[in-house]
Amino acid sequence: MLIPNTEADAAYVIRNAAADRKPLAICGNNTRGFSRANQPAEPISSRGLTGIVDYDPAEMVMTVRSGTPVSEVETALAANRQMMAFEPMDHRGILATKGEPTIGGVFAANVSGPRRFTAGAARDSLLGLRFVNGRGEIIRAGGRVMKNVTGLDLTKLLAGSRGTLGFITEVTFRVLPVPPAVETVVISSLDDEMAAKAMAAAVALPVEISGAAHLPASVRSRFINGRLPDGEATVLRLEGLGPSIEVRAQKLAAVMEAFGPVATLGMERSLTLWREIRNVVPYADGTEKPLWRVSVAPSAGYHLVSALRLEAGIDAFYDWQGGLVWMRMEADPEAELVRRYIRALGGGHATLIRASEAAHAEIPTFEPLPDAIAALSARVKEKLDPAGIFCSGKMGG
Amino acid sequence: MPQPIQFLPPKQDVLSRRATIIDDLRGLLPADCVIHEARELVPFETDAFISYRRMPLAVVLPRTTSQVAAVMKYCHRYGIPVVPRGAGTSLSGGAIPQEDAVVLGLSRMSRIIEIDYANRTATVQAGVTNLSISEAVAVDGFFYAPDPSSQLACTIGGNIGMNSGGAHCLKYGVTTNNLLGVKLVLVDGQVIELGGKHLDAAGYDLLGLVCGSEGQLGIVTEATVRLIAKPEGARPVLFGFSTSEEAGACVADIIAAGIIPVAIEFMDKPAIEICEAFAKAGYPLDVGALLIVEVEGSEAEMDATLENIVEIARRHQVMTVRECQSATEAALIWKGRKSAFGATGRIADYICMDGTVPLGKLSYVLKKTSEIIDRFGLRVANVFHAGDGNMHPLILFNANDPEEAMKAEEAGNEILKLCVDAGGCLTGEHGVGIEKRDLMRHQYTPAELSQQMAVRAAFDEGWILNPSKVFPLEGRG
Amino acid sequence: MQTSFTPEQLEDPHVAESEKILRRCVHCGFCTATCPTYVTLGNELDSPRGRIYLIKDMLENGRAADEEVATHIDRCLSCLSCVTTCPSGVDYMHLVDHARVHIENTYRRPLIDRLIRSLLAAVLPYPARFRTALTLAKFGRPFAPLLKQVKALRPLAAMLYLAPQSAPVRQETVMRGAQPIRGIRRGRVAILSGCAQSVLDPGINSATIRLLARFGIEVILPEGEGCCGALVHHMGREEEALDFARRNVDVWTREIDNKSLDAIIITASGCGTTIKDYGHMLRLDPAYAEKAARVSALASDITEYLSTLDLPRQEQRRLNVAYHSACSMQHGQKITLAPKLLLKNAGFTVRDPAEGHLCCGSAGTYNILQPDISAELKARKVKNIEATKPDVIATGNIGCMTQIGSGTAIPIVHTVELLDWAYGGEKPAKLTFAKEPAKH
Repeated sequence: MLIPNTEADAAYVIRNAAADRKPLAICGNNTRGFSRANQPAEPISSRGLTGIVDYDPAEMVMTVRSGTPVSEVETALAANRQMMAFEPMDHRGILATKGEPTIGGVFAANVSGPRRFTAGAARDSLLGLRFVNGRGEIIRAGGRVMKNVTGLDLTKLLAGSRGTLGFITEVTFRVLPVPPAVETVVISSLDDEMAAKAMAAAVALPVEISGAAHLPASVRSRFINGRLPDGEATVLRLEGLGPSIEVRAQKLAAVMEAFGPVATLGMERSLTLWREIRNVVPYADGTEKPLWRVSVAPSAGYHLVSALRLEAGIDAFYDWQGGLVWMRMEADPEAELVRRYIRALGGGHATLIRASEAAHAEIPTFEPLPDAIAALSARVKEKLDPAGIFCSGKMGG
Repeated sequence: MPQPIQFLPPKQDVLSRRATIIDDLRGLLPADCVIHEARELVPFETDAFISYRRMPLAVVLPRTTSQVAAVMKYCHRYGIPVVPRGAGTSLSGGAIPQEDAVVLGLSRMSRIIEIDYANRTATVQAGVTNLSISEAVAVDGFFYAPDPSSQLACTIGGNIGMNSGGAHCLKYGVTTNNLLGVKLVLVDGQVIELGGKHLDAAGYDLLGLVCGSEGQLGIVTEATVRLIAKPEGARPVLFGFSTSEEAGACVADIIAAGIIPVAIEFMDKPAIEICEAFAKAGYPLDVGALLIVEVEGSEAEMDATLENIVEIARRHQVMTVRECQSATEAALIWKGRKSAFGATGRIADYICMDGTVPLGKLSYVLKKTSEIIDRFGLRVANVFHAGDGNMHPLILFNANDPEEAMKAEEAGNEILKLCVDAGGCLTGEHGVGIEKRDLMRHQYTPAELSQQMAVRAAFDEGWILNPSKVFPLEGRG
Repeated sequence: MQTSFTPEQLEDPHVAESEKILRRCVHCGFCTATCPTYVTLGNELDSPRGRIYLIKDMLENGRAADEEVATHIDRCLSCLSCVTTCPSGVDYMHLVDHARVHIENTYRRPLIDRLIRSLLAAVLPYPARFRTALTLAKFGRPFAPLLKQVKALRPLAAMLYLAPQSAPVRQETVMRGAQPIRGIRRGRVAILSGCAQSVLDPGINSATIRLLARFGIEVILPEGEGCCGALVHHMGREEEALDFARRNVDVWTREIDNKSLDAIIITASGCGTTIKDYGHMLRLDPAYAEKAARVSALASDITEYLSTLDLPRQEQRRLNVAYHSACSMQHGQKITLAPKLLLKNAGFTVRDPAEGHLCCGSAGTYNILQPDISAELKARKVKNIEATKPDVIATGNIGCMTQIGSGTAIPIVHTVELLDWAYGGEKPAKLTFAKEPAKH
């Protein structure tokens, strides 16, 4: 494994690899399972590039080298009562991986959590980055200011490209103050369809929901030590100043009572619950059962699950107002079926987060793209990595 | 003496085939969709960056995506440059044509296709104006967040091209953060759809790349955007300070205190006078600088936030604090702010800068800006989005005095370089266009520019789309 | 924005004025969004910014108008919505006025177009001729569908369609001279009888006179006044327009000098905009400049004047009134709140239709000369008005009344007719015949 300690070293190594057309598999600490190469390749890790380069809490902007552990970033932020608004999930539970997730990996895989549907994804907080392209050139993209439309937004392109376009060496992102108070309103005993309707009604209210998840009966007991009220739990998160959260929770509860019994969780349990939702705790089960992460329109999520239930053994829960569906398959991943239904329901994408090696070998991890977009993506990749040395994952050819 | 900004030399072969091209375009589109008489082309020679003008070869105003595709296919085949145009409100010259270009105007594609409250999305044609989306959903308690000052007139297609921001982006983000999907006509006429009502991309974030690409990667004909539930209430409050520096420092302190209002807008004395003359919003005229701070939420929430802000403002010797008393008054306060650029026309011609700087550098950059302006013997009015450091110095000059016009451009260039040197960027929300194209080298290394151009080439190898913009003409390879 | 005129060109005061107006425009494009023809046609050439540019190009080059320029300027309604929107204060009204004169003087229109315009100019401003024409129109109406088939003849068809089926031929003639008042005299005003309105709906001025009399305002109808000149003014027939203006200035000046006037009351906002502009129109005429300015200063829309009288608040009557603000009212004269406040104060429930800033398509002779665009705007306006579910529509301009009235079954009346009713007058006839207002 190559572990450059400086950006210049990384550029040098990559330049040489390009000259030799020697494939490289870019990774951080391999906790997210996206570094499966589609060809034999030498791993190159960012773990040697660590440290916070610049953090000015007053400006709410942080610049960090890409191999810095997420935990280090979070500690530094917490000391100033700040946070990453997109609350990146930790994949170690569901993938049973070891090691420290890196901040570079968060952005390279565009990892977000429950707040994504209102506060944006990792890519929305990312203001700029530095990376080494496939020619071994050091490229800066974006900057450190919130508004920036100077040239093509390569920052967005690199975010979520999972090491197939460049080796990210440094990221600059926006952070936000930690909300002083958190509350969760729970509506019990709604079926998936009613839950989707309740969540849609909730986000239409002027109460600023920052999390909306539906936890069917099969998963409910896996959260906060089984302390959620009985039956299915539809959970809505409110964050902000203490007194205003109380008022908003009352308003929300008043409307939600029309759907089902309403309870609140209080701050401590709320914090735990949303961390567990973020980390997909019910499926951190130590198995290799296929696990899908599906993004569809919020109103399509429960349709997808109910259609699949008729044909396969699945267990599922919903985040992002119903638009993010975590689905664990009992046996076969049923990739064809899953992806066919997604298309039929107006589009979206399914990522096979976890599966047996055999299944992974057979099934594209990422949603196959329509021909025109696949061709365009391949051309884009060719422009960043002309020698085709960044082969990790299966994105962009 | 600096040189005026150059356009690409027109392709002679295209010019010489003008008559044929127009005939062909008239074959592709209904007769009323092709404008080619010389007299009728003149009004399309520029946008809101009127310092520069070029007559187009022809203007087409298609009504459907397939008509757009047909035009692109044709122009691509014959190497005819295409300059897309929404409402022509660009402040950086993004829609200024060139002699060999077909202007592709989206103004007739102005239909709202679908409003989907369950998924909080609106799907609209590219020529729909920004404001009309919010107007269409207001009665149901929703709005579309990015609100560029020209939102009354500017189109969503243009917003996507420039990744437009606005006053309320401090909380809600800019266009790219509120855009879920587009229908895009590629340079060769292929039609693709990126994104949709779901979140995030299946593959590369091409949607994120297209947003802010200034019409160089394709023609957006439809867009799906995110709707947001309107807050219970919103209240703009006016804070008057004796100096710009005090106001700037106050902004930095508000943000540093972890308070994120929906908007923090800044106006200096000249800007206050200009805006008050048009809107009669009751801005204080006896202060040196003004902040419009908008808070939102329930009455209690607004009161609590305001209390904190007022306390910070007092530390900066705030002279006046005025809460508006009614919705009408709030509307006037925003009308004045949003009309600032146009209203400047009452006293002089102007060019509007758009550099962004880190908040901690606001006061410094304001001071330096006025030094630069003084050195050139010009006047400036500052009105901008202070909360995110996005500055808009309006450099005042007389357009009928060519020497002064060039001075204004020169001063503008210095100010933008200052912004970059202060750790910011050339443009926060207006785009590079023609205006800042040659300054790109100040912000990026040759390798970085080459990389961006290479990615651009993945979409448009032959520089058909809006070719004179964004990237310096030299070194295009 | 930058302009290029030679010093010689600028010696012409009209060109000099236009140059000054053009210099103010910064080409921001805000005006396009609220322009009725731009939102209908989606072509910048049919927007204020496009027209400003066309005019600039024409004037700078000292060029005669041509078909293209005439087409796009002709499509302008002169609704002045753009003037309300414009942050830089571009005086589009006087710019487009100048352009229309320039077109009239330098461009030879196709024969039929010329004939129709001459016909309109020869008939509409003269009540007697107009009345006769309306009678004839009844016989001509069966031919309208036929005329509509030929593009050049469409304006004739539009005329026939617009003519009321039953023209109120000479009812309720108001006597010239001073009208009797009730109680103590609080003021003395002249009222414009004008031209088309006095034929199409003489009830409006009758209601005005009754209402004012009830509040002690003496109203006089001076001999000799007539059309304000707006109709020909908007066709670019400047000399005719100025002649109308001079004649009215003479008549009112006589009254002012005789016994003094508190106001010159106008009940059609289209006329009001023009009369308020007499001072500008005649600024270059040394014999009239001062007198005209005095007349303009006294000109007052009836609702503006009524607002100064402090009318008593009336009990609520359950009637939903959709208030349609005529462009000449809201954009031309910037009178926006007064009519609505008067109606509310008089006990009516006032509804504001959506897109209130957009023209109904009437615009003087526009509905005759540009029937297609006019029809689209009418349909859009009627849809927005009907969406408010009103019992009655109120407005302050006869042109809008005719236009909107031809597109909806909901009765449309002049604001002052409702006010007259609320303050003791008869219920407007149109309401008597309409269905009883729904109970709310």
